[in-house]
Amino acid sequence: MDSRRSLTIRLLAGLLVTLTAVAVFSGYSILQLRTLRKLQTQSIDRNRVDSLLLLRIQNSLNSLAIAMRDMLDANEPYPLTAYAPQFARIRMDLEDALAREEKVAPVDRTAGQRRYLAGSLVSFWDALDRIFALARDGQEAEARTRIQLSLQARQAALSTAVAKLLVQNNESEQQAAARTYAIYSGVERNVYLFMAAMLILIVLTSLYLLQYNRRMFDRVAALSERRSELAQQLISMQENTFRSISRELHDDFGQILTAIGVMLQRADRRVSGELQEVREIVQATLDKVRSLSHALHPMVLDEAGLESALDVYLSGFERQTGIAVSYEKTGESRQLDRNLSIHLYRVMQEALNNVARHAESKRASVRLVFLPETIVLEVEDEGVGFCNRKQGMGLVSMRERVELVHGGIEFLDGHAGGVLVRVTAPAVPHETQVTRA
Amino acid sequence: MTRRTFFLSPAGLLVAANPDPGFRLVDVTQQAGIRFRHNSGAFGAKHLPETMGPGCAFLDYDGDGWLDILLVNSMDWPGHKRQRSTLALYRNNRNGTFTDVTQRAGLALEMYGMGVAVADYDNDGFPDVLITAVGQNRLFRNTGKGSFVDVTEKAGLGGRSAFSTSAIWCDYDRDGFLDLFICNYVKWSPEHDVFCSVDGRNKSYCTPEAYHGSTCWLFRNRGNGAFEDVTAKSGIFDSNSKALGVAMLDHDRDGWPDLFVANDTQPNKLYRNMRNGTFEDVAVASGVAFSEDGKARAGMGVDAADFDNSGVQGLAVTNFDNEMIGLYRAGTGGLYADIAMKSGIGAASRNSLGFGCAFFDANLDGRLDLVAVNGHIDETVRNISRNHGYAQAPHLFLNDRKGGFHDVAAQLGAGFAEPKVARGVAYGDFDGDGDLDLLITTNQGPALLYRNDVTSENRSLRIRLTGTKSNRDAIGATVRMTTPDGTQSRTVKTGGSYLSQSEMAVTFGLGRRDAAGRVVVEWPSGLVQEFKDVKAGAYECTEGKMMRARERY
Repeated sequence: MDSRRSLTIRLLAGLLVTLTAVAVFSGYSILQLRTLRKLQTQSIDRNRVDSLLLLRIQNSLNSLAIAMRDMLDANEPYPLTAYAPQFARIRMDLEDALAREEKVAPVDRTAGQRRYLAGSLVSFWDALDRIFALARDGQEAEARTRIQLSLQARQAALSTAVAKLLVQNNESEQQAAARTYAIYSGVERNVYLFMAAMLILIVLTSLYLLQYNRRMFDRVAALSERRSELAQQLISMQENTFRSISRELHDDFGQILTAIGVMLQRADRRVSGELQEVREIVQATLDKVRSLSHALHPMVLDEAGLESALDVYLSGFERQTGIAVSYEKTGESRQLDRNLSIHLYRVMQEALNNVARHAESKRASVRLVFLPETIVLEVEDEGVGFCNRKQGMGLVSMRERVELVHGGIEFLDGHAGGVLVRVTAPAVPHETQVTRA
Repeated sequence: MTRRTFFLSPAGLLVAANPDPGFRLVDVTQQAGIRFRHNSGAFGAKHLPETMGPGCAFLDYDGDGWLDILLVNSMDWPGHKRQRSTLALYRNNRNGTFTDVTQRAGLALEMYGMGVAVADYDNDGFPDVLITAVGQNRLFRNTGKGSFVDVTEKAGLGGRSAFSTSAIWCDYDRDGFLDLFICNYVKWSPEHDVFCSVDGRNKSYCTPEAYHGSTCWLFRNRGNGAFEDVTAKSGIFDSNSKALGVAMLDHDRDGWPDLFVANDTQPNKLYRNMRNGTFEDVAVASGVAFSEDGKARAGMGVDAADFDNSGVQGLAVTNFDNEMIGLYRAGTGGLYADIAMKSGIGAASRNSLGFGCAFFDANLDGRLDLVAVNGHIDETVRNISRNHGYAQAPHLFLNDRKGGFHDVAAQLGAGFAEPKVARGVAYGDFDGDGDLDLLITTNQGPALLYRNDVTSENRSLRIRLTGTKSNRDAIGATVRMTTPDGTQSRTVKTGGSYLSQSEMAVTFGLGRRDAAGRVVVEWPSGLVQEFKDVKAGAYECTEGKMMRARERY
């Protein structure tokens, strides 16, 4: 009782520790994943979107450069002012891209950088507007010179600034990638640690349970043996007691009552009448004592052996129950150990009793087979099968008795539908058994 | 797109179903007597223009009601002269055959031609022809007597040299005279040709990144046979453009023609007509400048049409391989959504390098289908990619009722789905049976004429418009036809596709119905005419007059 409780407590404690470990580890992993997601959304994704927008801005700046180059090439039959809508389109696209870029710009961008880009663009458009104003006034040559001197330089500066931002984005992307990698390897390491800890825990628990189970089995086996020993001792003691009482009854009370009967017979010749009644009472008492003695322990078993005892018992059984019993013997009969005889006899008795009580059979057969080393006793009926019968103490005592003579007992299906009880026992009983008996 | 949305898309479901498309396309090139072969002049130096042409057109140059065929040709390069190659004009013999009348029509001249745009710019009742070219474009006026005269100089279009591609006639200022928009590709000359290679060994044709862009041109028709260059004045000028395709559409639904220009590796342009002679580019704001992932694609051919019967025109733009066709559906607020993936066109066109494309109702079921012809620009592509051949099969995307398209090219009979190095495509009913036939040009190869045989009981309603107050071709007129199935709309237009021009008459598919409940014509002049219970068949409709049935389709 005590050990059982301690085991439960220990197992519960183990479970608690395991659950706590799982919870702690899961919490830790979730935390790491959250950090990763945050890094992804706040840094990496944002960075990527920003880089794409910067590329778009760079592309627009390139378009500006190409448009300026075309203006300087002067191989179109159109005035410089024709380029105004083209610049307006690029400006619209640039401003849209810049506004979007502003929103997703990395957090570490300095105010100076922001100001520089916006300011440079404003001055670029101002310069461009002035150049178009010149062109509208017909001063195309002057406008072209200005494009060459100031506008192209401004565009180049803008392009360089954007390129720097792109490089910056790349660098921070690399940093973020390194951090992501660190998180991943940390998580991986922890998974391995956790798995190792779990493995150790499982192995320890299993070992402990194995050990515990083995101890339990040992104890159960010992208990079972003790119980069996007790039962056997009980049976032996009972047999001994029965035998001695039976002997007393047969030898002493039988002699006394026989003597009383003879004396009464003798007296009957002289004294008349009433003594006859007494004599009859004595005779009846004598009969009863004899049958009681036989029931407790058939003396014929000790004196004439198992076979004679069977003859006596079977004829009585037939008379009392009306069940026809056929008896059959095979092999050369020999004198059996008293102990073996009484137990075989009792088993046969119990089996037949079962037939009478449960089998609903009109016939039964008893077979005794003498083999060189062993003796086999079979009791078979033609009634209902075994599974339809109630199980009682009878079977238990049969097993214990067979056990006492180191034999085996089988309950089989009979040939004619009933039950076949077969006992096989070594013909030479065990030494210790003799001494104990 | 996730796998789930692909399987849920109608196109995904229909690929498995494979119903009968309801028509066949029969190659009748030989029996029609069309012997044309395109000469790109290629001699091994791989000059960029060699791989870009040619275009084709369906036109009725002699006004007999039967469609004739004009095929543009290039020529040998100077210093590498081997053969003479000219444009080709084929007159319809009204029995399924054609006669080559190039010589008689005065068009047997050599030029490095690319595309064609046909319209009656002088409103004399006979279609005139603009041929775009590498070098000097040419305008040919139709004399009305079966011949053409070169009026390039007289019209004020001379003295210009460029790499011109597609062109379009439209009356952008709505003065009743057709104006001319010409796409220019890149600044190219044999002296400035750049070395490019697809496979790293052999020279191949360059993609346009290698060259400077070139502005498109807009010429206003003065109404006296001469044109005024309004490129700068109208705000069209853009030296970064590398334009290949142009389509007219009414983007802001104000009745004034707007223009969509497909640029190769540059953002597309959507020029909104400001109704004061100027245009404003709203492509970026409308969502048609870039692909859905913000990339400028290699726009080639383009067509605008009311393909979802919503009453508003959408756009299809063919692109380079791995870029997919852009299928833009007009939404609210002037925004377009690229539904190529959702409709099934995207995935089906991923491996194609598309050029010409046109919306037309191939099976006359009342929904516009899309033909797109393909072909790579360089044969060395075979060395680097298994997915992309030099010759590629055309697509014919059939429009199902649920906004999906699926390619039935392989089901249309032998030949059509054969891989081709195709460039131009145009549609027109050359045999007068009421359905639309196809004309395809191939680079350095033949022109192919496919006769459409509609196998279902579907009928059509065809109307040819003639303007009086509006320009005579009624370009820009919109016809809306209503049946119990809904309302379809068509706009009379030139250009579109790639370098090519389809017939100007409008064709409605009626399905099994034999009449339209209502036909409304909205003329460019602002006049709106309505006709009730119009039976299936072919009609003439002159501005301000009753509709007259024609004996044939």
